[in-house]
Amino acid sequence: MPLWFARGLRRGVVTTRYPARPDESAAWLPTPPAFRSRQLTRDVADRMVAVCPATALRRRDDTLIFDVGACTACGRCAETAPDAVAPSGEFELAATARSALIKEIPIRGGGR
Amino acid sequence: MTPTHLPIPASLSRAAATSEQLVERLNALGGLEVRDGGATRGTVTVRTLGETLEAATHVVAGAPGARLADMFAGGSGPTGSGVSPGDRVSPRASRAADNGGDAPTLRLVWALESGYLLTETEIHGDRYPALSDIAPAAFVEECEIYEQFGIRPATGKPLNRLMLPPHAGPDFPRMRHRPARPPEEVHAPHTVGGQAFEFPFGPVRQVGVESLYYGLVTSGEEVVDVYLFTWHKHRGLEWRLRGTTPREGLFFAERAEGLSAVAVGWAVAAAAEAALGSTPPPAAARTRAVALELERLYNHAAAMAALCQATGLTVGQSAAEIALERLLRVNAASFGHRYLFGVIEPGGASRAPDAEVLRRDLPAAYGELRRAADALLSTNSFVDRLEACGILTAEQARRLGLVGPVARATGMATDSRLNAGGPPDGNPYAGHLVTAVTADGGDALARFQVMLGEAAESVRLIGEFLDAGTEAKSAPLPPGGGRGLGWAESSRGEVLAWVALDQDGRITRARLRPGSVRNWRGFDDACRSQNVFTDIPIIEASFWLTAAGLAR
Amino acid sequence: MNPGRDEAEAARRLRDTISTQFGRSLHIRTLDTGSCAVCEQEIRLLTAPHYDLHRLGFFFTPAPRHADLLLVTGPMIRAFDVAARKTYEAMPGPKVVVATGACALGGVYPKDPFVHGNAGEVLPVDVWIPGCPPSPLALLHGLGVAVGRLAEMTPGLTFIADSAAGGGEA
Repeated sequence: MPLWFARGLRRGVVTTRYPARPDESAAWLPTPPAFRSRQLTRDVADRMVAVCPATALRRRDDTLIFDVGACTACGRCAETAPDAVAPSGEFELAATARSALIKEIPIRGGGR
Repeated sequence: MTPTHLPIPASLSRAAATSEQLVERLNALGGLEVRDGGATRGTVTVRTLGETLEAATHVVAGAPGARLADMFAGGSGPTGSGVSPGDRVSPRASRAADNGGDAPTLRLVWALESGYLLTETEIHGDRYPALSDIAPAAFVEECEIYEQFGIRPATGKPLNRLMLPPHAGPDFPRMRHRPARPPEEVHAPHTVGGQAFEFPFGPVRQVGVESLYYGLVTSGEEVVDVYLFTWHKHRGLEWRLRGTTPREGLFFAERAEGLSAVAVGWAVAAAAEAALGSTPPPAAARTRAVALELERLYNHAAAMAALCQATGLTVGQSAAEIALERLLRVNAASFGHRYLFGVIEPGGASRAPDAEVLRRDLPAAYGELRRAADALLSTNSFVDRLEACGILTAEQARRLGLVGPVARATGMATDSRLNAGGPPDGNPYAGHLVTAVTADGGDALARFQVMLGEAAESVRLIGEFLDAGTEAKSAPLPPGGGRGLGWAESSRGEVLAWVALDQDGRITRARLRPGSVRNWRGFDDACRSQNVFTDIPIIEASFWLTAAGLAR
Repeated sequence: MNPGRDEAEAARRLRDTISTQFGRSLHIRTLDTGSCAVCEQEIRLLTAPHYDLHRLGFFFTPAPRHADLLLVTGPMIRAFDVAARKTYEAMPGPKVVVATGACALGGVYPKDPFVHGNAGEVLPVDVWIPGCPPSPLALLHGLGVAVGRLAEMTPGLTFIADSAAGGGEA
């Protein structure tokens, strides 16, 4: 297989150094949202809850309950409320307790 | 009932039949009613009577250039399913909506060179005509219809269990109600001189592949028959889509067969657009096409890696995987998702590609694919294993209604991107894609060569679409209801979707027909005769289908 | 009783057990309970050159008898229950179950007559990896967490972005 061998040597190593070192390709991955609690109102929260296809969002009084485990990073909540949502940039999301993936986001925006 | 034989006019015997010509011929049978739209939408729907369905099928099946693309049933019952918006459809609500006592409507979808022809027939009682012209191709669909709607062809031939698990009781959700007699587990009869034994394989198989349950019939080494069960992967997506809006439904449609997310999403969005009379802006249609071609590229790279794994060529596999990973990173960098989820939306596209990144990174990624492919084609141990492996003839491909590279590798030049139907200016490929890539021989090597040819075309097409401009834009869907057919050419072949929307714009019936549904039909034929066990993974890789796409 | 603290304690004990017992190599068996096929594609790429799982001491095995870790995808279709349990029971202890992807974590499909909607309904899941699909990097992180070699990040993340920069914060 001299053909394959020579090509392989010429190309060099493509293997990631992760987890020892960060991998820059992670920058392009879709990630779950992070919410700007001061931009959230009950109204905005309800709109996002209605549009989430994976039931990752629920509202309980003035708390937005976000299930990171259910999130598919589809971006529909961000499209609905662009001021209230930003990409979290987090992809290292594994958890040993399912409850560690349920986050409570206070709704601190003024008004309704 | 003997079909009516009409003399074939001289003009039809040479050129492919158009929908107008077929409608004219069908009219002669009597009792016909032309429904929705017309040639401008690329799709003609004709309603036939139960008595003339057999004759109508015979007319269309015999017309040059016509191919059975799908067969499905659906209630023709009242629109408005009594399900509240935002509800997950409860089994009780959906049963109530369907068992309004309405006779189910049987639909046949025929692909023509320009557009599609649908026939709709209300079926009273539990039998419909034998439709022997299409029986070989339509077997999977007949089984599915029987399980879900309780109606079967008049021949009384045995039908297999397909989607519903063995323990499915009377309360198990179905689109209508369960058949009077449950389907049998009967497979293609096989005669072997000497003993044959049958062993089930799966559904948990080798590492990193989907669950799939095969029944393998063998007389030792040779494959006598292979049959598949996919009820353990049936998620009930068509049932689940009822009561959803096209936007909500698209989330599930993309996940029917995630490796064809763009194609299935496009077909469903196009069906909703056809139902409501909307056309995406051309720049958005080109965005969809760029995503579809990127999807084709990574799937063909993945198929190449699977072929190397099946032939035990680990170095080749690594080279193909490097190309695959680079292509997936191009997808992530240009469209924000490695598998291009979330690009299609009803009315257009929600994300446009980063053209600069795509132009910069795609050539190098494709170069990896090309070099690996060239090296493989000069590696005897690879080529020898693929040659004459899993042969399908053009006649088999035609009779079984196969699509995609599997069909094109037998010489059939069928590619739904070339279908001249659809709304005016609605096909972004018009003017860019001129011919389908075909090969001769119908073996695994021919399928591989077709994939490589298509990959080269995909790169060229992406460049041309970027030059013409791509945008994230959508034409809003008009209010109201309707029915429509949509299609897209996935890496596995033609994907069809059909939707019926009620006056609130919610889906009352969605039909999803990924390419895998058609092509698994050809898998057992390809595996049989003169192929041995170790050929099965090679054939499976050369088909590059999914169990998810078949089971939905 | 503090369920949060009990859970964290159980998780710590599990990790200690794993590091002691599994040593430096781990065999993984994959299990598809009804996925859309994309999670499987990402899992297959773990042994591809860009990620090379083997350099970290992880190997795939087709035999549940040789496996230490069960990597589960899909929403746990009910018709698959028996096959799922049989695969799990065929693995000798100690063993770890890792549910991967939004389907297996309860995100995509609600519980209904077709699916459980969540791998945890049928199998005792030890590690949950979100994503649709989880990328190979996310899977590497999850596997690292499963063997106690990498720290979990999510307990410390709030997913609240009130700073002007707008990124997530730990």
